[in-house]
Parts: sequence; structure tokens; C-alpha cells
Amino acid sequence: MLGMTVLFTILHILIFSQMFSYGPISVKIIRTWCLLILLFMVTSVLWLNSKRSRAEVVSDERDSTIKKKAVLISFASLWILSFAAPIVPTRIVGDSGSIPVCLLPIINFGLFLVAMMVYSVAVLVQYGWGGKDGTE
Amino acid sequence: MAQNNLSNQIRRLRFEHDEMTQQQLADKVGVTRQTIIAIEAGKYAPSLPLAFRIARTFCLPIETVFQYKDEDTKTHTDTTRFAP
Repeated sequence: MLGMTVLFTILHILIFSQMFSYGPISVKIIRTWCLLILLFMVTSVLWLNSKRSRAEVVSDERDSTIKKKAVLISFASLWILSFAAPIVPTRIVGDSGSIPVCLLPIINFGLFLVAMMVYSVAVLVQYGWGGKDGTE
Repeated sequence: MAQNNLSNQIRRLRFEHDEMTQQQLADKVGVTRQTIIAIEAGKYAPSLPLAFRIARTFCLPIETVFQYKDEDTKTHTDTTRFAP
């Protein structure tokens, strides 16, 4: 999931960098941001892995079940939104209207963000149902 | 749902076994403490291997630790009923 996030982030930032490459400064800023985000993600993962004890159980069958269900819900929402997304511009500009091509990657990126949000909410809700930490 | 029909005696058994903590039980069976909390609260139905590991930790048969109640609210703990 993290790999997919990194890949999509880089992909979309590259697309946006192509879209807004009117001047060299904007391209440099976007590429710097891309590099910073990538470095932050890689450093975070390495730091978290280094702090983890080898003997400590950090994930078990319940976690994997929760993640599997969340992925299913996320994919289901992505499918529904993928079919619903083209309806919105059609409703706004009409059947014979036109929209800028640069909106398509933005819609695509929006769908991805929504799917990630659904995944996160699904995970949180399922952990919430599993009982509060130490109180039950 | 099947999870609501599943009850267990883990909390009682932990206290009977030298007041074993949830973390100690979790370490013994190889899961996180949150999973033990969820199982004790009846919010999560463990897999069969995990249920066996928990039962073996207490040196008891699985049906003593976990009980399943069907729709007729009959508890299937009495093993003598099924004996030939």
C-alpha cells in the first residue's frame, strides 16, 4: 500500500510538473517537493523498522483480516466512484460540452485519494469495533 | 452473526493461572494484546489454530475455553452428549 502511495504520488507529481512546466522555477519547485515527500516516506519507514523489536508481535491474523476487508471496501468504492466520476462533468457542462484535458489526471488523483481515505476509515472503524485499548 | 454466539472463559482462566496478563498471554500465543482484548470482549472470533494455541496455553481442551451457542441457545459444551 505504501509502495502504491509512493508510486501514485510520483506519477501524479510528474504529470502535474508536465502540465505546469511553463517556467523552470515551477518545475524545480515541484521536483524538489517530489523528492522531499519521497525522502520523508523512506526515512519514516526505515525509522519505524529500526525501532521495532524482533521478538515483539506487531501484526497478527486479526490485523491481516482487517486490512483485507478494508482493501475490499476500498476497491468497491473505487469501482463505484470510477463509474460515477464521468457523470459529474457531464451534468456540469452537458452532453456536448467540453472540459480541459488537464482535469482528467486531477479526477484520477481525486479518485485515488478517496479510495485511500475509504481504506483508512474502514481500518479505523474495524479497529474501533474490536474494543477499546485496555478498557474492555 | 457467528461472533456473537461465541463466548469464552479467557479472562477467568488468565486470573486462575497466576493472574496472567493479557500481554503475557498474547506473547505466548503469538498475537498482539489488542487481539486478546478483542477476543475476551467477544468482538473477534479467533481462527481455529489460534483458539487451539490459547487452549493449550491453559492446558485445557478447546471447548472448555470457547463455547458456541446456536440459535436455540443451547451451549455445546457438554461433550458427553456427543459421545458414542
